[in-house]
Amino acid sequence: MAVESEVVVVGGRGEKEHFHVLAVDDSVIDRKLLERLLTVSSCKVTCVDSGDQALKYLGLLDDLHNTINASSPSLHSSHHEGTKVNMIMTDYCMPGMSGYDLLKRLKGSPWKDIPVVIMSSENVPSRISMCLEGGAEEFLLKPLQLSDLEKLQPYFPKFPDNSCEGESTSADEDNDQDNNHYNCNSISKRKATSAEPREKSRSKMKEYN
Amino acid sequence: MEVGQIQRQWVDCMKSLFIEVSTLLPTIKTLEGFLDAQFLQLKQLQDETNPEFVVEVVSLFFEDSERLLADLTNALDQKAIDFKKVDAHVHQLKGSSSSIGAQRVKNACIAFRSFCEEQNVDACLRCLQQVKQEYFLVKTKLETLLGLEQQIVGAGGSIPMMELSL
Repeated sequence: MAVESEVVVVGGRGEKEHFHVLAVDDSVIDRKLLERLLTVSSCKVTCVDSGDQALKYLGLLDDLHNTINASSPSLHSSHHEGTKVNMIMTDYCMPGMSGYDLLKRLKGSPWKDIPVVIMSSENVPSRISMCLEGGAEEFLLKPLQLSDLEKLQPYFPKFPDNSCEGESTSADEDNDQDNNHYNCNSISKRKATSAEPREKSRSKMKEYN
Repeated sequence: MEVGQIQRQWVDCMKSLFIEVSTLLPTIKTLEGFLDAQFLQLKQLQDETNPEFVVEVVSLFFEDSERLLADLTNALDQKAIDFKKVDAHVHQLKGSSSSIGAQRVKNACIAFRSFCEEQNVDACLRCLQQVKQEYFLVKTKLETLLGLEQQIVGAGGSIPMMELSL
């Protein structure tokens, strides 16, 4: 079952288009966290709990015969009101179809050009390389934070109000970069060596009214 | 009870969640806190548009964890233990506790997994007890904390700002 949530962005130009992310994770807590992170980053989010559900949502899985449907996704988008998916974020470790399996299926489908981000709680360099070589745009380590969403800013097209509400001031910088390809090292280094807690600024909590 | 008093209780509760001071060994000032910085990240994600976010995530964590602990108890109670299954459940619990910042539960799960790999039944049973203990400790403290927040807000007060050097 796909759960959808949407943030209403009142854009000056009256555009109602939101960057739509399909989030795939078998953990209900991680789905909730990811949904919130993406919502504060002004994205529209649809959550599913498995690779099969993701393929179904994208119209790539024929319910009756459970085979890959190679026809154009546009034939199936009507029952989702033509909502386009701009990015897929998937957990790596899931029962049944893994995030990597899902990645490979997507890359062999009409959705192959859609950026796929893989997330994992385990920092395994060979796994990270395998996913990146398999076509994943990014590999993020869990638990996810707002700073991780900043890494994804280059993939978001320039929507008038699409900015991260987090601590990021580098969003503009990222958008100006022509080079969207991240070096493997920068991803695997992240948190791999640091057992240290986050920097102090993160420990300030917002006042709750 | 006046709001100031409840706010002070809240501050004490927060401190005790993050910093555990050893009373047995005075040379060791601090032990591992119940929560880590990831919990603060959750608080940062809460705002006026989603004022119940932390309560919702924590509630999901409680439900999910209790289900997993029941599954683990059952799995280890079998005559022929399926260690792969046990490991899968522990992996899930490790993930969810990590996502909300329940540090001690997460670390207990890490230890648990190594014994699953060894297929050491006795050690696994001890680990399960340890995980349960850590879980119920953090659950009690979180319920207290969230209860105090409800009281503060209900009395028209605001949750104090706290700076924690973790």
